[in-house]
Amino acid sequence: MEQHVFPTRGLSEKDFSEHKVLVEHWALKADYAWDTGVAIGGFLQGLKGGKLLARRCNRCRRTLIPPRMFCEECFRPTDDWVELQNTGWVKTFSLSNVRWDMVRLEQPEMPAVVVIDGASPGMGILHMLGEVEPKAVAIGMRVQAVWKPAAEREGSITDIRYFKPIG
Amino acid sequence: MGILHSLEHPVQAGVWHGSIPLEHRYTAGVAGERFLRGLKEGKIYGTRCARCNYTYVPARMYCERCLGHLGEQAWLEIGVEGELLSFTEVHIDPSGQPLAKPRWVGLVRLRGASGVLMHNLEGVTLEDARVGLGVKAVFRPAKERSGSINDIRHFAPA
Repeated sequence: MEQHVFPTRGLSEKDFSEHKVLVEHWALKADYAWDTGVAIGGFLQGLKGGKLLARRCNRCRRTLIPPRMFCEECFRPTDDWVELQNTGWVKTFSLSNVRWDMVRLEQPEMPAVVVIDGASPGMGILHMLGEVEPKAVAIGMRVQAVWKPAAEREGSITDIRYFKPIG
Repeated sequence: MGILHSLEHPVQAGVWHGSIPLEHRYTAGVAGERFLRGLKEGKIYGTRCARCNYTYVPARMYCERCLGHLGEQAWLEIGVEGELLSFTEVHIDPSGQPLAKPRWVGLVRLRGASGVLMHNLEGVTLEDARVGLGVKAVFRPAKERSGSINDIRHFAPA
């Protein structure tokens, strides 16, 4: 069988900036309007009001956060909205020196799954940790939400700035 | 309460607006680049696979049939004449809006090429359009060419 190995060179930014290659430039504007659905819609409204809301299933007695209108274990609709506390503990975390848009960071971002007090075991939300040294973050660490002022909240997960450690 | 929920308050019909930035820089590849630069010079190049007796226009670096490499010896200049294999009278633009004046596109097999090329047609009407019509590539003036398939302005009846 013939084998062909050709000397190749990947293109570099210089090849583009010095117009060494012909290039078609195309930018797609992909605008979206994502439906939140009833559960997350209510959750986001709760955030705007400075609250962490969950849904409760009276059959299995679980408190779900993020909320769901449907209990996936009982195969029935969930029953009530429940307001939870602003505190919780760190179930898992990452120290990330690369941002979502591939920018390198000197100081790492610290995404974490925070189990919220009052929710069923293991129920947590993904958010960022703040006001803590990366080395000091530990699983089980107790944290509290730090909110944006009411006037700045827009019904987004970022209405909580981050979770910071409490005593 | 049933599974289906009626919204009780407009605020429940929540929507989150966002956009996903997508940017592309397309390059033509080794053979594609050479083909396009050929168009810039007013020439149409192809590559011929001797094993398969198949000539690719636009030129390709590998034969897709036998996976053989199409090297320097495979390159040849293809003439600008060919025959029309298919044609369409287009009445709307890419976003579905009606065109002020219909335009024509067609599939052309250049003499010497095995495949077909899709391009604009000019000077073709419903009366004289037919499969097998002899057509010829009309290039833009040299200074308007940029190394693009649009360096050929259209194909017209030969």
